[in-house]
Amino acid sequence: MLIKLSGGTVYDPAAGIAGQQQDIYIGNGRIINPPADAKPDKEYDLKGKVVMSGAIDMHTHIGGGKGNIARTLLPEDHRQDPVASTHICRSGCGHAMPSTFVTGYRYAEMGYTAGFEPALLPINARQAHMEMGDIPILDKGGYVMLGSDDYLLRMLTAKKDQKAINDYVAWTIQSAKAIGIKVVNPGGINAFKFNQRKLDLDEQNSHYGVSPREILQVLATAVKEIGVSHPLHVHGCNLGVPGNMQTTLDTIQGIGGLPMHLTHIQFHSYGTEGDFKFSSGAAQIAEAVNKNKNITIDVGQILFGQTVTASGDSMRQHANHKHASPNKWVTMDIECDAGCGVVPFKYKDQNFVNALQWAIGLETFLLVDDPWRIFLTTDHPNGAPFTCYPHLIRLLMDKSFRNDMLATIHPEAQKMTTLASIDREYSLQEIAIMTRAGAAKLIGLKDRGGLSAGNWADITVYTDNPNREQMFEKPDYVFKDGELVVVDGKVVATKWGTTHTVKPDFDPSVEKGLKEYFDRYLTMKLGNFKISDEEITEDGRGSITVHPLKG
Amino acid sequence: MSALTFTLKIRPDQRVDMSPLVCQLLQDKDPSDIAAIELQSGKRKLRVDELFNVSGSDTQNIIIKNSFGKLDFIGKELDGGSITVEGDAGAYLAMGMKSGEIKISGNAGLYAGCEMKKGYLEIAGDTGDFLGGALPGNKMGMKGGLILVKGNAGERVGDHLRRGTILIEGNAGDYCGSRMTAGTIAVMGQTGRYLGYAMRRGTLLLWNPPVLSPSFNDCGTHTLAFLPMLFKAFATLNSKFADSAAAFNRVQRYAGDMAEMGRGEVLVKI
Repeated sequence: MLIKLSGGTVYDPAAGIAGQQQDIYIGNGRIINPPADAKPDKEYDLKGKVVMSGAIDMHTHIGGGKGNIARTLLPEDHRQDPVASTHICRSGCGHAMPSTFVTGYRYAEMGYTAGFEPALLPINARQAHMEMGDIPILDKGGYVMLGSDDYLLRMLTAKKDQKAINDYVAWTIQSAKAIGIKVVNPGGINAFKFNQRKLDLDEQNSHYGVSPREILQVLATAVKEIGVSHPLHVHGCNLGVPGNMQTTLDTIQGIGGLPMHLTHIQFHSYGTEGDFKFSSGAAQIAEAVNKNKNITIDVGQILFGQTVTASGDSMRQHANHKHASPNKWVTMDIECDAGCGVVPFKYKDQNFVNALQWAIGLETFLLVDDPWRIFLTTDHPNGAPFTCYPHLIRLLMDKSFRNDMLATIHPEAQKMTTLASIDREYSLQEIAIMTRAGAAKLIGLKDRGGLSAGNWADITVYTDNPNREQMFEKPDYVFKDGELVVVDGKVVATKWGTTHTVKPDFDPSVEKGLKEYFDRYLTMKLGNFKISDEEITEDGRGSITVHPLKG
Repeated sequence: MSALTFTLKIRPDQRVDMSPLVCQLLQDKDPSDIAAIELQSGKRKLRVDELFNVSGSDTQNIIIKNSFGKLDFIGKELDGGSITVEGDAGAYLAMGMKSGEIKISGNAGLYAGCEMKKGYLEIAGDTGDFLGGALPGNKMGMKGGLILVKGNAGERVGDHLRRGTILIEGNAGDYCGSRMTAGTIAVMGQTGRYLGYAMRRGTLLLWNPPVLSPSFNDCGTHTLAFLPMLFKAFATLNSKFADSAAAFNRVQRYAGDMAEMGRGEVLVKI
């Protein structure tokens, strides 16, 4: 079927197009060049509409055990937000941590067509893929978590060479069907189990004698050498600790020019100035990001309201459990491989710390110059549920709205932020870079995130509206792989997205040492640990897309 | 004006959500509007007049006749007025009640009076588990008001109780007063195992000696001046609790749960 989208105003940063009127043709699920004579089977008149590719959330917790722990911990989150079934959609529920089906529908209804789970634990990867396999419409993928796993730390203690580590990293990516590597509190989750309650960048794990800095260096080197496009995805040390700005700056320096993505950097940009010994480090962080072109960041903006934080960082989640609201929380080990902490949070605009966190996130967005290296996230659900994105976009694009909101937060926090003096407003093109082209480039997605011929037809059409929140929360049309799935912000058809992966090479002899380790220490055999393609595709709805390696 | 009366005509196979039929939501509604209200029953919606014969017009005084154990959420969040149930009620009777009065002649199901804020709930028969408790996952159960049960109560009476009074003339099941934060539960009959499990504060008042966990400490015998005052507060109730012969002021006092805060007390008549 040939579809023509006529006369829309196209924002396609991947092709350098910023707001030009263009026709787009869709054939066989992809965007194609204008056919010479064929008459379109279906034409949409998009004059005056804004056309972008489908948005990509490059960091959102939508799969894996912590989500189910959060759901179990917070039945009220589901009770208060029931979603009835329709003849198209399945029923579900949930506000902060929605059910899988509702996650897919709500993302699609905001114009998103892909989401990436940033904390795929190798040993739980199967469950995470099964869970994401139940999310309709969206494409998905995951970054597999290393850095606090016993095996890697043993290798570092034994001073194994970089080649051996590269093989282990590549093997883990393939086994877990991932598209990148994530580090969470490098070595810290492990150190927590040896009764360390904090771990700075150069502090040694008391058992293994390895510091976070070394872990970051070997993993960032491995990611580069095995050719994975997505830079090492780093949730740094000291999340949420006042003064952690210095740790973050040291982390940026310490990586020595290797590509590195610092995630939810808002939680890592705190100073210790002021009466409450808590201040914004956004300016210094943004300056460092602007200067170091090897660094990319996503913000992890907080927005006020009830949510739940779900993280692999059991060390920091344990430290934050005192702030749990409602007062219940979980911190656990996961098979000596990693950890997990789930702490419900209610961010309040009249709380000094929360209010300043809100301002720090926005300062970061506005002070980093290059939209290709900063990404729009709330670290769903940790800063806020992903359904807040349209509100966040309005905060970025509308200075007067932003200042109105600023005037309502805790007065001491207003004094501690430079937000009111920042005039920048994001343009539609910059939003398209952050949420589309830039994200696709960062993750290394081939044929996604752009609207030129050859790309898959993931397309979102909005009605231009000065109120950007209204504009972005209700797209006119969303196409996924060329099929119309959303009309006027409601799902009209549902389908299944693909799972994005990479397959870096490794020396098969890596399995020899691993097999002995699995047999001796772990709860499953090596053969069962590895996920086969069929496990994702055999139900007839999942599929695997392998993206090219670099170089 | 006569009471607005719903007389059940048929017993549907699926459970019925009765939450739309409370005084404050029916105020100023015409009889035809009330008859047209849809009630969720399983996956179907049933009109009120499909299920009930409706008569009377005083929306602040509702009577439900021929009631049975599948009518859930009767009097949910009732805010003033009275509801009388002739027969049994399903689960969540008087859930989150804000004020007013609910009386039922038969038995009530699970979660009767759960998370009730204020008002009066009287159950002539027995009641299921989690009387005056908290919904799963929530941290606070009943926060105020008074519940009187003339029959027996199920397990977990007053789970997460925050404030208010629960009076049981019959027996209470296991875990009576579990995870109580505060409030008062009085049981004239027998209590089950794990009485006051993880209670933090609050009072359990018993007529019969309980089986107590080792995490409760015996604090000896006491004559408590507040007890006659407490019983006096019950004097107007239509209950054995109003009978002056039931009152006492001499008790054996146990403190617990020492595995928690340990500031709760179990007072046993001696």
